Amino acid sequence: MGLVLCLFGALAFGLLACVSKIAERRGCAASGLVESAFGWAAVLMLLGTGAFHTAFHMPAKAVTIAVVFGICAALAYFAFQTSIRTGKVTVAWLTMNLSTGVPAAVSIWAYKEKLTAIKLIAFALGLLSVLCLFWGQRVEVKQTVKVGAQKE
Amino acid sequence: MWFLLMFIILLTNGMSAFGLKVIVGWGLPGKVKFPYLSIWYAAGFASIFLPMIFTGVRVRRREFFWGAIVAALSIAGQIAMAVALDSHVPGHIVFPVAVGGSIIVVALVGHYFFNEPMNRFTATGVSLGLLAVVLLGISAK
Repeated sequence: MGLVLCLFGALAFGLLACVSKIAERRGCAASGLVESAFGWAAVLMLLGTGAFHTAFHMPAKAVTIAVVFGICAALAYFAFQTSIRTGKVTVAWLTMNLSTGVPAAVSIWAYKEKLTAIKLIAFALGLLSVLCLFWGQRVEVKQTVKVGAQKE
Repeated sequence: MWFLLMFIILLTNGMSAFGLKVIVGWGLPGKVKFPYLSIWYAAGFASIFLPMIFTGVRVRRREFFWGAIVAALSIAGQIAMAVALDSHVPGHIVFPVAVGGSIIVVALVGHYFFNEPMNRFTATGVSLGLLAVVLLGISAK
């Protein structure tokens, strides 16, 4: 059952990226889509807070953290939605997921977490991946320009 | 422009989830997650709302509709992962399967439905990135 739920999670997150691409192709404005998605999610989470009878008391410092990182999330999704207009949805989605390396690195510094061999390999692969993706995009832009020039 | 957008995603998206780790580090109860996420989403909503007012962009019916689907899928994915973790599936299985699986879903749909071919550099980057994300997930147990 647990593994089925994991696969369901994978499908839900994967479809989220695919739906974003469909929305882009249907002419949705990036800012409008982000606004709508965050608005709906805020309402659903508020309903969840009420349904689970969770008290809304939070220390001011936790509210500050929520506001700062919420803005980060909206900015990230806006950048993702804007990038898939010209770039590939797979690359943008991979970049979204590769970004988990940043808090992992911050944790090592801030919480003095151990830099294990697996983490080190993951960081190296992540860096190589980003370089390959950027190089791939450069090659594609060059090819597009070349094809455009030949047509003219 | 594309490179700048990728850089923004790399810097902001991963850090956006870091707040939960910070509040866990402060020893706040797990129940605080619901109000925390409510404020988290509301802050994201407000941060886009203000520039929209100044630029005159409005949420039309299509954005309202597709945004609802995006929000539902996001919350469904989060709940599936949370329930999997609650049913004693270890984190080093949940995170790589959910995250790595989502990348495979997007790569397949991108290739077969959105007609997005990849050159060898991009294909290598996606393969290496998938491996990196899975390893990061395993190390996050």
